[in-house]
Amino acid sequence: MVQTKKLKDGSRQIILNGKQYEGVTKTLSELATKTKASAILFADMSGQLISQRGNTEEMNTTVLSALAASDFAATAEMAKLVGEEAKFKLLFHEGEKRNVYLSNVGDYFFLVVVFDVNVTLGLIRIYTKKAIQSLQEILEEESEETGSEKDMIDSDFSSLLGDALDETFK
Amino acid sequence: MFINWALQEINLKIVYYGPGMSGKTTNLEYIHSKLDPSLTGELVSLKTKEDRTIFFDFMQIEVGKIKGKKPKFNLYTVPGQVYYASSRKVILNGVDGIVFVADSQPHRMEANIETLLDLENNLKQDNHSLEKFPWVIQYNKRDLPGVESTDILQKKLNFFGVPHFEGVAVRGDGVFNTLKAIINRVVQNVQNQL
Repeated sequence: MVQTKKLKDGSRQIILNGKQYEGVTKTLSELATKTKASAILFADMSGQLISQRGNTEEMNTTVLSALAASDFAATAEMAKLVGEEAKFKLLFHEGEKRNVYLSNVGDYFFLVVVFDVNVTLGLIRIYTKKAIQSLQEILEEESEETGSEKDMIDSDFSSLLGDALDETFK
Repeated sequence: MFINWALQEINLKIVYYGPGMSGKTTNLEYIHSKLDPSLTGELVSLKTKEDRTIFFDFMQIEVGKIKGKKPKFNLYTVPGQVYYASSRKVILNGVDGIVFVADSQPHRMEANIETLLDLENNLKQDNHSLEKFPWVIQYNKRDLPGVESTDILQKKLNFFGVPHFEGVAVRGDGVFNTLKAIINRVVQNVQNQL
């Protein structure tokens, strides 16, 4: 299971281990091959990009993830306003050359598939659905205890971070 | 906060909150203009024709590797105008720390208070509260004539005694100190919870 923690102040922490990351990346690669999608992103609902596949060199995928997460959040609010009790599960943006297909993966993650208009939506839907199933399995798999944030952020870390910030903001 | 062990990445989300025209976007613009381009991504602004933020501004900054780990900071602003209340709520999803940018002018005091209450209200819906959440205040526009004294601002806005900074965001005064403070507070907060 991907580690999600609620801290005392209510904030949320999500920790992905190495094996899960590999599994996610492999699933995205397969999806990219099968659908010939231009780009595939996997990100968390707060807008942080986790993994990407396809021709993403010329795409600002960091920003794309942030925008896509907001897109999701905005439509969730829309759902409430129109009396839809669940959240909308998928979003589709249709362009002249490219389309974007977004679908949630559980409550905390989502998938963005960018594809040319000559790829049929049906194909994208079928393979994306399968990919989401395997992503959910990967994220739910029992994992050996990896390092916790304790190993990631120790007291040494914060003082070094302070120095790095001073250096960066000189 | 999102931690990716495979890539040794720590992602933090910091949101600049405050009333309309208090200088939230200006903070981000200054940071973006001063940082080495290798450390910062594009600054994306979703604005109306009148230059008001309609949804949010976003940029990501990095500070290089620390003990082999790569911290990344995702900075967002929210729209200040009252009628964009639902957009503000949406941006707070997954937030790790908040910078409240207050407008120091006396006639904006009510807007400051109203926005702070709106923030508390939005945080509560996510089971957060201003009392426990990591946040700092920046009293902006200190260069304008007739601004409220910091004593009064402190009394009226800083009821939990969080770190506060005076700012002139257009000139960059106080901008980096504010950002540094919120990052430190978020990291400390994580450590305190272990």
